[in-house]
Amino acid sequence: MKVLAQQYGAVAVIKPDGPLAATDAEDFKEQFLQVLRENLGRVVLDASSVPVVDSKGLETLVELTNEIAQSGQALKLCAANRTVREVLELTGISAQFEHFEDVNSAVRSFL
Amino acid sequence: MRTERPVVKKPASRQRLLMRGERLVAFVGIMVAGVFLSAMAGSLWWALQAQRRVSQAANVEKVRVIGESLARTAETLLTANEVSTLRAVIAEAGVKYNLDSCRIVLPNGQVIADADPLRINLLKVPSRWSGAAETYAESSAGKKTSVRCPLVIQRRGQAHLEISATTASGLLTDLEAQSGLGVIGALSLIALLLVYRHCRVRLRAIGAVRQALLAASAGEKALGALEVSPKFGPEAAAWNRILTEKKELTEQIVLARAKESLQSGHAASGEVGAACDALPHGLILVDANKRVKYVNGAAAVLLQAQRDKIMGADLTEFIHDERILEPIQRAAAGPTHKRTIIEHERDASAGGGVLRYVIRPVRREDSGVAMIIIEDITQQRVAEKARNEFLAQAAHELRTPLSNIRLYVETALEEGLNDPATQAKCFNVINEESGRLERIVSDILSVSEVEAGAFDLKNDDVRFQEILSQLQADYGPQAKEKRIEFTFQSPPKLPVMHGDRDKITLALHNLIGNALKYTPEGGQVTVSASVDQSQIAFDVTDTGIGVSSEETEKIFEKFYRAHNGRAACETGSGLGLALAREVVRLHGGDITVQSEPNQGSTFTLTLPIIQEAA
Repeated sequence: MKVLAQQYGAVAVIKPDGPLAATDAEDFKEQFLQVLRENLGRVVLDASSVPVVDSKGLETLVELTNEIAQSGQALKLCAANRTVREVLELTGISAQFEHFEDVNSAVRSFL
Repeated sequence: MRTERPVVKKPASRQRLLMRGERLVAFVGIMVAGVFLSAMAGSLWWALQAQRRVSQAANVEKVRVIGESLARTAETLLTANEVSTLRAVIAEAGVKYNLDSCRIVLPNGQVIADADPLRINLLKVPSRWSGAAETYAESSAGKKTSVRCPLVIQRRGQAHLEISATTASGLLTDLEAQSGLGVIGALSLIALLLVYRHCRVRLRAIGAVRQALLAASAGEKALGALEVSPKFGPEAAAWNRILTEKKELTEQIVLARAKESLQSGHAASGEVGAACDALPHGLILVDANKRVKYVNGAAAVLLQAQRDKIMGADLTEFIHDERILEPIQRAAAGPTHKRTIIEHERDASAGGGVLRYVIRPVRREDSGVAMIIIEDITQQRVAEKARNEFLAQAAHELRTPLSNIRLYVETALEEGLNDPATQAKCFNVINEESGRLERIVSDILSVSEVEAGAFDLKNDDVRFQEILSQLQADYGPQAKEKRIEFTFQSPPKLPVMHGDRDKITLALHNLIGNALKYTPEGGQVTVSASVDQSQIAFDVTDTGIGVSSEETEKIFEKFYRAHNGRAACETGSGLGLALAREVVRLHGGDITVQSEPNQGSTFTLTLPIIQEAA
């Protein structure tokens, strides 16, 4: 799975391109944590190119939001499609994230 | 690999000859050797003396017995006048008993018999002779023993027998004794060396451990300095194991204390600690020695370090800027009560960004504590900079048409009152500039709305066929005027989608307007549409001035104008492309560009087809 990282001002937007599942989820987590550390926590997860999330993907998202919660923040998730949003709702972990419609709104939330 | 080296450094002179741990062995070895050799030499001397005395006494006795025996035999033989037999007996006795001399002498000194026949000076013994014989006498001089026995020969006279013999050295001669002593000494020394080697191997470890113990009692704590080379044997290995266990125990105790301290810190804070962890700003408490007493999660993230490592550590390991450390020291230890705010720009190598440190003292009765609040203001700084640039650019863009309007209003007032042609020309320009001003203001408002998230999209039916026809009609005359070959290529049937028709039309307007604006006379501009299952794409291709690869993303930023000579000649706010891309992205699509400077550009607008219609 390709993971794009783009800088919007001081905020890094990480955009995984493909399903967040199985071993890809672990690789994605490593890359996300590295960008998170380098960017002092100013990170947005752009889920616009993530068609589906499996149990491993969900676990990864929960681990990431727990990591970010240690610094008093929540994982900012933007542009998630309906399938992903429904999975998050059904598993009851949706409230652990901050949801945004698009990247710009998520980036502006750091102001 | 560990190298063998002295446990405790000693002056070189003391280690030149002896290795570590050997001084003790050497001392003991030399003492034992000395005593051993002395005892051996004394014993030998005493034994030799005793042997010499015994052998001398035995020799005297032997000579005496021989003398008496020979004397009786000589008396008998001389009485019987058996002189030749007597001489034979004397000669045989001299040889048999290894005598130095053995002879019979008359009172006048004439020798009638001798062990050495050549010394006989009276061959024919007289029948009678006069004179008194010598008395019995014994004498010893050194090793030589002499005996003189008187002889009484009936009817003939008196004579005496003289015997002398040298005491034999017994079993050993002096040379033999000295050789034996040398051999025994050498063997003893070899045996001593072997014993020394064995002791040295065994005692080296003990000596080394002893030196290490002395060093430890002198205050040496470094494990490396106290360790003994394992080559010294099991004692050294045992000593090293004790040291290792001590080190591990010390580490465990330190770790346990640190954890205890950490846990007590957490327990003391309780819910307050949890609340501090929920803070998005970093919070650190340090004592007067700059030791960290508390750090929350956000501070650990902002200092880019593990929280456990920061806890209890020296803050200077994580913050190096003296501008920050100095007020922390002052707040923790000094009399100040005021807060200090420092904005620190991090090195680009550390990830860049701007952190704001608020430092203030927390007074307690027992000790001073400084509180540091760290806030990440990087994004605010970026936004501030963007806003300032936006305002500067907007003011600049608005001033140009305003200046023109004011200029032409003045001209109309001054010269146009009497000249309707001038007046009409002025009003035309004012009208155009007002229109331009309106577009700029409209674009700025639209961009602001997009940024503020207040940009409403209408939900119309977007019929691309109609839009393309309209665009062709709108830009046809302009293209003709510039003699640009302006063509539209599209499939016979284009889909209808839901979206904001005006905004999408505005985006296509922008792309086609730019293509015509930046394409020189005689060039080509082609608008082609293509449709697949999920999206519709419009390629606007021109043979214009193009954009360099470095600028392909920047041209979508607000107020950005390409650094190109010909681009600078054209008017434009630098908002069009930014707005077009925002509008398209709000519809889930995007605008991308492929371009070569002076070769032309292709701007591609893609939109997802949400709902297909005939």
